[in-house]
Amino acid sequence: MIMSGEELSSQGRSSAFVVSARQRKWQKISKTAGESTLLLIASFVAIIVFFIFFFVTRDAVPYFQIRGFKEFFTSTNWYPADDPPGFGALAIIYGSLMVTVGSALIAIPMGITAAICLSDVIPFSVRQYVKPVIEMLAAIPSVAFGFFALVILAPLLQNFGGTILMWTWWVIVSPFLLLAIIVASELLSAKVSDEKKRKRLHTFLSVVLGIIALGLLFFVGNKLQRIEILTGTNALNVSIILSFMALPTIVSVSEDALQAVGRDLREGSYALGATRAETIVKTILPAASSGILAAVILGIMRALGETMVVWMASGNSSHIPSPWFNYLESVRTLTATIAGDMGEADQVTGSARFHVLFAMGLLLLVISFICNFISERIIVRQRKVLSGQ
Amino acid sequence: MNLGTRKLFDRAFTALGFGSIAIMGMMLIIVLAPIVSKGVSAIVFRSTVEHRKMLYSEFHRGNRVSLEKEIAASDAARRPVYEMLSEFEAELGLMDEDKQQEYKAKLDQVRTAIKALLGPLPGESEPALTRFKYGQNRWEKAEEKLKELVYEKQWDYSNPDIAAKEYFVSRATAFEGTSLVRLFPYVEKNIDKMLLPEWTFYWGFITDSSVDSHIFGGIWPEIQGTFFLALGAMLFAFPLGVIAAIYFTEYAREGFITSLLRSANSTLAGVPSIVFGLFGLAFFINTLKVSESKSVLAGSLTLAIMILPTIIRAAEEAILSVPKTYREASLGLGSTKWNTIVTVILPAALPGILTGGVISLGRAAGETAPIIFTAAVSVGSAIGLADVFSSPTPALSWNIYNLASEHEAAAEIRHVQYGMVFALISIVLMLNLSAIVLRARISKKLKG
Amino acid sequence: MKKYWGKALSTIALISLVSVGPAEAKDGISLDGSTTVGPIAKSFAAYFTKKYKVQVTVSESGSGNGAKSLINKTCDIASMSRSMKPQEVTAAKSNGVNPVTTVVALDGLAIVVHPSNPVRALSKVQLADIYKGKVTNWSQVGGPNGQIVVIQRESNSGTQESFKELVVGKETPVTRNAETQASNGAVKNRVSLTRGAIGFIGLGFADSSVKKIAVNNILPTSATVKNGTYPLSRPLFFVTNGQPTGVVKQFVDLPKTPDGKLIIKELGFVGKY
Repeated sequence: MIMSGEELSSQGRSSAFVVSARQRKWQKISKTAGESTLLLIASFVAIIVFFIFFFVTRDAVPYFQIRGFKEFFTSTNWYPADDPPGFGALAIIYGSLMVTVGSALIAIPMGITAAICLSDVIPFSVRQYVKPVIEMLAAIPSVAFGFFALVILAPLLQNFGGTILMWTWWVIVSPFLLLAIIVASELLSAKVSDEKKRKRLHTFLSVVLGIIALGLLFFVGNKLQRIEILTGTNALNVSIILSFMALPTIVSVSEDALQAVGRDLREGSYALGATRAETIVKTILPAASSGILAAVILGIMRALGETMVVWMASGNSSHIPSPWFNYLESVRTLTATIAGDMGEADQVTGSARFHVLFAMGLLLLVISFICNFISERIIVRQRKVLSGQ
Repeated sequence: MNLGTRKLFDRAFTALGFGSIAIMGMMLIIVLAPIVSKGVSAIVFRSTVEHRKMLYSEFHRGNRVSLEKEIAASDAARRPVYEMLSEFEAELGLMDEDKQQEYKAKLDQVRTAIKALLGPLPGESEPALTRFKYGQNRWEKAEEKLKELVYEKQWDYSNPDIAAKEYFVSRATAFEGTSLVRLFPYVEKNIDKMLLPEWTFYWGFITDSSVDSHIFGGIWPEIQGTFFLALGAMLFAFPLGVIAAIYFTEYAREGFITSLLRSANSTLAGVPSIVFGLFGLAFFINTLKVSESKSVLAGSLTLAIMILPTIIRAAEEAILSVPKTYREASLGLGSTKWNTIVTVILPAALPGILTGGVISLGRAAGETAPIIFTAAVSVGSAIGLADVFSSPTPALSWNIYNLASEHEAAAEIRHVQYGMVFALISIVLMLNLSAIVLRARISKKLKG
Repeated sequence: MKKYWGKALSTIALISLVSVGPAEAKDGISLDGSTTVGPIAKSFAAYFTKKYKVQVTVSESGSGNGAKSLINKTCDIASMSRSMKPQEVTAAKSNGVNPVTTVVALDGLAIVVHPSNPVRALSKVQLADIYKGKVTNWSQVGGPNGQIVVIQRESNSGTQESFKELVVGKETPVTRNAETQASNGAVKNRVSLTRGAIGFIGLGFADSSVKKIAVNNILPTSATVKNGTYPLSRPLFFVTNGQPTGVVKQFVDLPKTPDGKLIIKELGFVGKY
């Protein structure tokens, strides 16, 4: 048996001060009782988790008993109030998926680069000021984001959507293209050995590639500008906002993962003559990859489980957009459906309509449980690997 | 790749990182700037004499003598408007049938516009709704209404194949040749004499209850509801969380049960907020029946469950960061384990625990989804402390949603919505900021 | 460390002191239900509280919810924009609740579009086709070339159910592309901001920010709704458990009082009495 510190000390004490047997017995009883009370309180969390699963499942099961599984997962007919009703949640599941993927596409690259920047680039003194900014972003209530999406962003998108898209395209893509041009011309001209010829080829390549790139920028930018966004409450709007809600999680968890990669790996890489970027991309990122994956999963979960933003600003139309990747159409998500449809009456009569919402809740619960489980495993494994076991 | 390119890559990489952080900072500013600036304008704005009238008769606030003086002055400026109206009505009686019909419809529009601007016309029966009892309370709104009075917005439907464009027609042209034509330039010129705008600091926005579903008045019931819900949640979650953290850090032996409990904790942290709402409805209200229907109690319990994992984690971290030497010194002096925890470890960890608590308090205050089915109502007055077990309450987070997307005059009361969002964000960010400051002080202290 | 506890405790004490409001009368009235009836309910509530000093709380969570609350006996009055369904009545009876319906006011379902839309009138059939998804472009109903953004209400809305019954028909579903909004106010807002939009709202909500469309060549006005010529009109209800008594009766009878009539008129609804 492993002895805790207290047992050791109380034994030591009892040899010094004589304690009666009765007193010791009492001490032992009260200690056990105290510890079990603590355990009971600590296991309260587990009990709650069990209860959540139990109660949500209890109210979800009747739905599947009444209607079966097929319709829920394969049909897109969401007409819960009609006669006969339709409970096809496929389009709604797809909507949840769509905004989650959309927000992930924005949040993952930004979050990881920001985390790298925080852990490896920015000096400590600056970091002290950046971290509170991220914490504040995390602290803003979801309903405030929803309000922003509905009242400010949606009209902007609707009125100047094309122009906004064009500028975003320009601002984001042109630096990358510039970099690509420089690197490509460098690489292509590297093989020519004659110094003079190489320089001339380099200039020529830069100009040609530059013209092509500009053409591309203008062409696509023009196309984007001509897009007319019919409704500002759409999947794009929600994805943007959700990505900013997921960012703090991604940044802080992946920063932890990056920090967990020890100094020795970094110093070894620098010693071999690698630049900082090379060190990060080739050495640190692979070492921290599992932790970053966990961060991404946690961030995505935040987007998937978010209610207010999607309820207020997604437009809530339960259809699969056409074409399927059209982020400019409005969608409906699981969370928003639960929040919006819960109003319906038949709680007392226990109709499929009431229970289908719990089925959706159960689906969300199961997905979040699985994601959590995976990310937790990943973090535990990484900790083991890094601590050298 | 040559060194130059590699260096370039390195720089580009750095720039990318800085860019991401800059975008995050910018996003924070983009979200906060309009909310703060327009939120402040819910409290500091140019109020009209109508606002002061409203304050006096709804909240019994203001100086009666000076208000009466102001009302007299504004009435003097308004009298010509009403005289012109009655003069025109007399003129209307003398016109032939067709013209009468034509002018009457237009006159009705003018009367509606004047009523919206200045409040009910003299001689009309008093409106039953408070929102129609006063003219424009806010000067910037009054300017909008003035524009609506002087210009008529029309749409050019001449070509049915394209979307119509709006254009503005001066209303005066419609009354060309009648006595009413003088009214429009008069109102335009003397509007400030009629409404007497002046800068006000309307602190009542925070402390007043709302009048006529937020058309006038303040947001106190919502703020109070938010406090009740958040503090109630803390009341349940804080002790539980701290005790659980003590167990995890001091007593738990690594093993199946402990790892199960830890997984449970992180699972709970990952449950979507709306599922908490479903659970609260199914468990606290429908099964335990802590209250007949929505109540502050049920909402607090639901929120408590939601913030429990955060509190446990923060408390665990705080307890673990207490130096080992403290513990050893106390145990060495012969104190028991429990005694050590209560008298040495907890006090040392308290600032850290409080930090976690304060952040959780902010989260509880800001959440909406868990209270939709368990605690929130759209209209209701501030409830007393005795009612928390049975009555639901309005709350900032829910009422922001309600006012922004369900209120019948959502577009008219944007300033109230902004004010509410501003209030909520200030509460939450202030809590977070104090947590950040608290933490900074701890780390300074630990460094010595 | 005592300092911290002291601070924390005093803060909490201060906040609770500040927030202890006067505990008001317990026997208040609670209303739950339709957002369409919402403005009337809220205004009545404000009026009633002021005049009779009786606390009235109003939840606007949809007619369905109102019925539910009444059946569960968690509200005194359910405000509804449709009549109780047979299932609801059965559920109520089995729960010992006897729903009694009183008409509050009449309401026309105004069909609204963005003011820039040159379309002036639609027939009921055209309207149904738009909501069924058969007609997707304004040019198909005599308007400019542009996609129609169809806006509907949540499934728990009585307005939605009335509209479906009156226009689309019970059996046919509304097009899946329809956007869903939570309330009349939200629909009006969306329509006033969206060029291609069409939506339906209670007559009381339709203001100058949207354009009302004539249905079967009749524009929705108080007169056409009251005399029944406007094809899309319906009554709004207060439903109580048994014949109302006491303050509840006073409240339910408000639409018959002069002040009540005035409130209904000022809000843009059409009085029944």
